[in-house]
Amino acid sequence: MTGYDKPLPKLNSDTRPFWEGCKKHELRFQRCLGCGHVIWPSSIICPKCHARDTEWIVASGHGIVYTYATYHVAYHPGFLSDIPYVVAIVELDEGPHLLTNIINCRVDDVKCGMDVTVVWEDVTPEISLPKFSPD
Amino acid sequence: MSLKDKYAIVGVGYTQQGSVPGRTSLSFHLEACVSAIADTGLKKDDIDGLICYRHFPASSDENDLTPFKVAEHLGISPRYIYQDANCSRSNLQNAVGALEAGLCNYVVISFGHNALSSDSLFYLLDEFSGDDAVFGHFGATGGYALPARRAMHEYQTGPDTWKHIAVGQRKWACLNPNAVMYGKPMTFEDYMNSKWIVEPFRVPDNCLVNDGGRAIIMTSLERARDLKHKPAVIMGLGAHHPCLDIKYATAMAGPTGAKKASEEAYKMAGITVNDVDACEIYDCFTYTVEVTLQDYGFFEPGQGEDWFKGGTIEPGGRMPVNTSGGQLSEAYFMGLTPLSEAAMQIMGRCGQRQLGPKTKTKEPEIIICSDNGGILQSHSCCILRRL
Ligand SMILES: [Zn+2]
Repeated sequence: MTGYDKPLPKLNSDTRPFWEGCKKHELRFQRCLGCGHVIWPSSIICPKCHARDTEWIVASGHGIVYTYATYHVAYHPGFLSDIPYVVAIVELDEGPHLLTNIINCRVDDVKCGMDVTVVWEDVTPEISLPKFSPD
Repeated sequence: MSLKDKYAIVGVGYTQQGSVPGRTSLSFHLEACVSAIADTGLKKDDIDGLICYRHFPASSDENDLTPFKVAEHLGISPRYIYQDANCSRSNLQNAVGALEAGLCNYVVISFGHNALSSDSLFYLLDEFSGDDAVFGHFGATGGYALPARRAMHEYQTGPDTWKHIAVGQRKWACLNPNAVMYGKPMTFEDYMNSKWIVEPFRVPDNCLVNDGGRAIIMTSLERARDLKHKPAVIMGLGAHHPCLDIKYATAMAGPTGAKKASEEAYKMAGITVNDVDACEIYDCFTYTVEVTLQDYGFFEPGQGEDWFKGGTIEPGGRMPVNTSGGQLSEAYFMGLTPLSEAAMQIMGRCGQRQLGPKTKTKEPEIIICSDNGGILQSHSCCILRRL
């Protein structure tokens, strides 16, 4: 892959299962077998009940914009041509709050509460990024 | 046993501040500590406790700044030494705890940073952002923009509220010759016409980036009586650290840690919000001031604009806030910007900006202060009173 000049996620034993799911265009989360809480970010324990047994679920990819920030400056040269761009927290139907970008939408049209669905950007052979687009 | 009225801030140390190129962060710590020690009349060998605020990543031409280095250059060997790593704001609590436990008798708390004139903040951005950078999310401005936007959605706050904070604090800065923004007044129009950084924040919603340092000295009220200045007595302390990374927060518009922290502090002090004469609030962003005062009980969510408008927090206003200009308009020294100003106001040493007849405000008996760390992850509240 050449030409992708933005930061990439750091893969480790905690984060790798999520990003491996993304590579297959799946949003994977752990669900606690003790209390049913959907755990995010992934962990070896459930923060609600400290159970260690979890199952992996695949989220529907639908959610709402919980909040967002519109960047008018580029803190990294890779984002210079993107400004203004929107960083958002999407509240997924399954519960987790995911930091992402809202794309395919004018920045001034983004609103809290707006329905959005995941769209995938394959940025390297290993990494696909879940971004969101208005329904 | 209650800690009320047992400990006090007894001295404040200032440095050159603003644009002060060619200086290391260490040199600002040292200048601040030496001037704070001199301010109390103590000798350096009396100082047996040293607490340094966390250091941001060192600039490329400096080594990591540790309290060992600060002590080494001050020529002291304290009995108690501590530095936080990631903006967990417990420095005041640690100082009081160490004094109460008899671990030391005189503690200096210091901060210094060549933030403006070095490349240190560039490294901070990298360290701070982690995997959020994958989606172009960087630093504190973006970090606080998220809860600020959520608050706009939930209770209709926004720039029309925050302009009163930015402009009001600037008026205080214009009475403070030490302030970076001294002599640079700002109108509502200036505020509204300034550039977006990360929307909903414009340039004047952000704290300053400056060189300099600040230090305070704390001891017991008993020991304070022998020192140069009338002490600023700690009557209430409280803290709450939500810790949760803001991006996972499901109640992002508040309440923040400020709510429980202030409840605890009011309880220790035996007062209510109605007894407070002035506020010195950690103001990394204008919104931080709004949400902190809201959680401290000055107004309900959504009532901020009405509460602030008409010059409430300004010279001559009924509830002065951030009377040095604060981090928005004086200078950024973490929690020491609000704490040191509160102590100086209580001591009556603030010159032109002194609360009282000079600024057509009430003479301060009681001032509430805040410190805040991370993205609303750590909150510490302190109530100071005049003896
Ligand atoms: Zn659980």
